[in-house]
This record gives sequence, structure tokens and C-alpha cells, in this order.
Amino acid sequence: MKQLKNMKVHRLYKLITVLLFLSGTSVSALRAQDSVATPTILSLSYFLPVNKVPYLEIITKKKVGRKFEPVKDIPVSVYFNEAEATNLLGKITTEANGKARMGIPPSFKIAWDSLNEFTFIAQSDLPAGQEALTADITIKKAILTIDTTSEDGVRTVTAMLKEKNGNAWMPVKDIDMKLSVKRMLGNLSVGDEETYTSDSSGISSAAFTRDSIPGDQKGNIILVAQVDDNDTYGNLATEETVGWGKAIKPARNFFDQRTLWSTRFETPLWLLFTAYSIVVIVWGTIIYLTFQVIKIKRLGRLRFNKKNEKQKIIIQGTRN
Amino acid sequence: MDNLQNLSPEQITNDLLPQKFGRRGMIWTAGLVVICCIGAVAYIKQLREGLIVTNMGDYVSWGIYISNFVFFVAVSLVGSLITAIFRLSNVPWRTPLTRIAEIIAVSNITFAALIIVVDMGRPERLLYLFSHGRLQSPILWDVIVITTYFFLSLFLLYITLIPDVRIMILAKNKLGKPFSKLYRWLASFWQGTPAQEKIRNRSITILCIVIIPVAFCIHTVTSWLFATTYRPGWDSSNFGAYFVSGAFLVGAGAVVVAMYVFRRIYKLEKYITEMHFDKMGKITVMLALLYLYFNVNEFLVPAFKMKKEEKDYLNGLFTGDFAPMFWFAILVGMIVPILVLVFKKGRRPVPMFVVGVMVVVGAWFKRYLIVTPTLLHPFLPKYDSPARFNHYFPSWEEWAITMGSMAGALLIITFFVRVFPVISIYKTLEDRHALNKQNETIEEYESAQVI
Repeated sequence: MKQLKNMKVHRLYKLITVLLFLSGTSVSALRAQDSVATPTILSLSYFLPVNKVPYLEIITKKKVGRKFEPVKDIPVSVYFNEAEATNLLGKITTEANGKARMGIPPSFKIAWDSLNEFTFIAQSDLPAGQEALTADITIKKAILTIDTTSEDGVRTVTAMLKEKNGNAWMPVKDIDMKLSVKRMLGNLSVGDEETYTSDSSGISSAAFTRDSIPGDQKGNIILVAQVDDNDTYGNLATEETVGWGKAIKPARNFFDQRTLWSTRFETPLWLLFTAYSIVVIVWGTIIYLTFQVIKIKRLGRLRFNKKNEKQKIIIQGTRN
Repeated sequence: MDNLQNLSPEQITNDLLPQKFGRRGMIWTAGLVVICCIGAVAYIKQLREGLIVTNMGDYVSWGIYISNFVFFVAVSLVGSLITAIFRLSNVPWRTPLTRIAEIIAVSNITFAALIIVVDMGRPERLLYLFSHGRLQSPILWDVIVITTYFFLSLFLLYITLIPDVRIMILAKNKLGKPFSKLYRWLASFWQGTPAQEKIRNRSITILCIVIIPVAFCIHTVTSWLFATTYRPGWDSSNFGAYFVSGAFLVGAGAVVVAMYVFRRIYKLEKYITEMHFDKMGKITVMLALLYLYFNVNEFLVPAFKMKKEEKDYLNGLFTGDFAPMFWFAILVGMIVPILVLVFKKGRRPVPMFVVGVMVVVGAWFKRYLIVTPTLLHPFLPKYDSPARFNHYFPSWEEWAITMGSMAGALLIITFFVRVFPVISIYKTLEDRHALNKQNETIEEYESAQVI
């Protein structure tokens, strides 16, 4: 019995020793990992926002420990299709957040329109001696549309993704899309799912279940369809305004009240009275003093004329 | 004062009539004109290219221009101090200082108004301030009060100048033709009759009464431009008094500097005496102590609390990037002047001049410190802004325009003293007459036989 007890205690000691060793090594390994910085990574993303010119986002970051840190002030040249001087889209330097944004210049419109697929190449312009960074992405030209239907009281949001194939736009299936309502601090999905996958006709749809969601004063809300970070098509977004929200009307317009922060037509009465009183008193005094100077002037001229008259009388008297 | 008795009216008139520029005067004027021209070129560049030529940004949207504006407004306050307060309190030795104070006030308020226009990206929209201005905005109050103070200062300068201009019209043989038309246009009507004199004296008294609250208002309203904005360093109920006390100090410093310069150049030792420096020294030390008191209030109390939102701003001033400038402004602008001026020897002309320069220079940097560090430390965290927005150092265009505006203010004073007497001849003769009469009365009293 005693032997058995000793064996158990011995095993427990062994187990504790192993656990301590493992935790010690893992902590030291994590610490070592935290202090190690990996080389800088350059990456490139394509964005086609709604009603805006497509743009590219260049990101420079490096892994410090277990998380990525932005790398700023990296000069980058971005090329269209081939890394040649004639295909240079522009040069840009990453900001403090390690990001830089570049629109596609209008001079590339003809090349842009003629192609269905294009490659963007980013190359860092670091001084000699530093390792050059490169990144590229190939994007297929695509278009994302959004539509709504309302049948038998059921509201549905549909989004369709088409890619350009030859001269035709062909639907794309099996693409995850976000269908959401634009809110102040982010987008809220229209249904219960976070993403909706497109079917063979390129359409993904979701029933709109946010019936009581507050809209603007007319009850309008903005529906958003997004394709996020897709390897083939990049980032696409489109919007539509619909009157499916609850109209919110403030009891009284904030700017219709006579306050210090309202428009100039709603100045508080006490301020109007005080300001105008001061202006009238001070400027009234200035006008009064101006008349006093005119009075001094008149008095001077009067005396001057009297003097002249006296002199005339004296001169006439001496002549007589 | 007493040495006026020994001077004849002719000698006083001759001494105080404006004089032609000598070689030094011409070089000084040419230098100022050149600086003004460089400033004008920089301003034209700014007009053509926009405010992008400045180093101002989303955070430091009020840079050196607004610092300079606050400085000009502060200096302009001196007109009311010397002329109005001294006159209403019947200070007997004020005569040689009043004209200097008045022209300093006019020149500085002129450039305070102009520098605001310079700070506007679209100056052609100036009239919109009146046509679309919100009366709730302290900016509109400032525009109104500065315009008012400008006209009041100009009025005060003119009305006190009238008898002197008449003297100059009479002394046309000595002065020559250059400005005779201007003199005739300004004061040919002045005959010095009792009726005219009565109206003029009453007008000056009314002006002096009105100008004091308006002068307080210009600097108080200017302080409210800052204090009504919720930012570290500006969120203070003390700001009006803090600004006004600082303005009185820098104004007194500017008058002392001008007194010394005019005394030396125009050889006015008989009129601006050591007594005047001594009295102004006492006033300056009192004002410096007052301003130091407000500074202690403005910085010690927030530093004691060291609120999280204000910590970076205060540390930046006390020990950070702005520390050399901050301690320079405190030491050179207040503490050293106090230490020098408490001693009688420190209130003699030369040390007074040096102290006056220190006060003015310290005050300019103090205004820069009021504006810039606060803007660099907003309450809301900076987000997604370029790195250059975290620092501010004026561009060469900003420096050129600022220097040009300062040269412009000095140029107004320079041209004024070329055309008009820097000390009122009429008032000096009046003082002399009053002194002689007083002495005659004393003599009569002393010689009267007691029965």
C-alpha cells in the first residue's frame, strides 16, 4: 500500500516537472518569437468602389513577434501589366499606417478598356543595399450590381457578379458576397448570414429581415453588396438606396432653435440685443464725435470769415 | 517736467517739429520697405497658389499668422493705456508718451486687421464675414471690435493732433512744402478759440472713456477666439484677464523701446527725461508681475491636476519640444524684466530699452506658444493623417509675410514721425504755461506780506 502511494507521489512529481519544463520552454519560445522581426512584406489590393474610380492599396508591414506592424515611408512604384517605365501607374510612399492609395490614371483608359484581365506590379524603390520588395496581383474585370424585389410582403436583396469574357459579361458562380445595410459605424447584414454565395446565374440573394431598422427622415436606408478580398476579382462594392427603413423625424430640428450653435438666422435674442446695443452705443459715439469735429471746423471758418469781414470794413474805412 | 520752464516756446516748437530723415533714417526706411516688398512677394505667391504654400495643416490651422495677429492686437492696447487711462487719471507726466502710444496703437491695429486677411485662404470673401457672418461666432465679434478700435484709435490720434498741425501750418517756412497741403487739409480750420478748445477737450474725454472698454474688448474677444474652443491650454475661464494683462505688458514694453529710440534719434532728452523712464519702469514691473501671476494660474493649476488629455500638451511645454521657447518667454519676457526693473538703476534709459526689447520679443514667442502647441495636441486622437501634420514650423512664405507685416507696422510709425511731431507741441507748450503760472502763484504767495 505504502509502495503504491510512493509510486503515485513519484508520478505526480514527474508530471509537475514535465509541465514546468514545457511551460518554461513555451514561454521562452513565445518571448523569443515576440522579439524577432521578420522582413518587410509588400502587398497590393484592388478596389472598385461604387461610383468611383478603381484604386490600388499598397500595404507594407512586418511581423514583430506575433502581430503585424505597419512599415512607413517605403517608396513604391506601381506598374500596369509589365514592370516597364511606359507602364508606370505612379510612385507613392506608404504613410504612418503602412498604407498608400493610388488611383488608376486616366491616361491608362484605352489599355484598361481593351483588356479583360490585368496585372498590377508593385516594386519598392529602396536605396541600393536594401532588399527590394515586390508584389503583384492579377485581376479579372468584373461588375457587381444590386437589385431589390418585394413580393407578398417579402423583401429580397439580390446581387449579381459578372466577369468580362471576350465582349460579353458572364455570370460568376460560387463567389461569397456580403449583402448588408449601411449603418453609421459599419454594415449590418440584411439577413442572418454573414455572406451569401452566388449561384450559377451569378446571383446571390437574401431575404431582408431588418424591417424596423431606422432610416433617414424619409425612411431611406442604403443597401450594400460587397465582394471582399477575392483573389480573382479584388474588392468590389455597390449600393442602392431603398425606402425600407423606419422614418425618423426629430421632434424639432436641432438647428431651428435659437442657440449659440445654430445658424445665423437663429441667433439667441439676448445675444442680438446685447451685440446690437454695444455696436449702436459705440458707433453712435463715433458718429457724434465726427459731428463735433465738423462743428470745430465750422467754428474755425466762421471766425475766419468774421476776421476777413472786419478787415474789409477797416480797409473801406481807411479809403473813405 | 521742471526743465520745461527753462525752455522758450520757440525752442520747444523747433525741437519738436518733425525732422527730415538723415542717412540712418533713410537706411532704416529702405530696409523696412525691402522687408515689406519680400513679404508682398510671398503674399502674392500665397494668393496664386493658396494656403498650400504655408506649413499649416488639418491640425495646426492657425500658425504664425494668428500668433502674429494676437501679438499686434496686444501691442495696440497700449494706446488706451497711456492716452486714455493716464488722461482720465490726470497723470501729469504723460505728455511726451501719449503720441508715441497712439501711433503704436494705430499701426499695430492696422496690421492686426491685415494679417487676419492674410490668414484667409480666400481674401476676396472677406465681405462674406459681414454678409453671412453668424453673430454667435467670436470671430465676427473680433472683426467688429477690431474695426471699431481702429477707428477710435485713429480718431484719438487725429483729434489730439489738430493743434499741432495748425502749428506746423504756421511754421511752413521752416518745414517747407512737402506736406503743407496735407496739413492744411487736416487742420486749417483750427483757430484755437475757447469754443473750439472746449469741444476738442470734451471730445477727447469722451473718446478716452469709450476707448478703454473697447480696448479691453478687443483683447478679451481675441482671447475668446481661443477660450470658447474646447482644447488643451485654451479651456480656461481666466483667458480674458490673462490676455489683457499680457497685452498691457507688451504695450508698455513697446512704448519704452519707442521712447528710447525717439529720444536718441531726435535728441529729446529735455522732453523724455529719466523720470519718464523711471515711471514707465515702475508701471512695466507692475504689469510684468501681474502677467506672471496670470501665467502661474494658467499653467500651475493644470499642471497640478495633470489631466490625461492635457498631459502631452503640458509636458511638451515644460520639458518637451516647446520647453526652450516656453522658458525663454517666461524668463526673458517676465522674470528678468522684473528682476532688473525693481532696482532704480534698472529703470534708467539704457537698461529700460534692453528690458523693453526683451519684453516685446518674449511676448511674441508667448503668442506663438499660445497658438501652436495646443493645436498640435487635440483632444480627439489624430487619425489617418500624414506624419507632417504632427509638427509645425512656418514655411519661408509665412516668415516673409510675418516679417513684412512687422516691418509694415514700423513703417507706419516711421512715416508718421517724419510728417507729424512725435511729442505734442501744443500740449508741451500748455504744460510749460501751466508750470510757469503755478510758479508765479507760488512766488506771489511766498512774497505776500503777512500782516
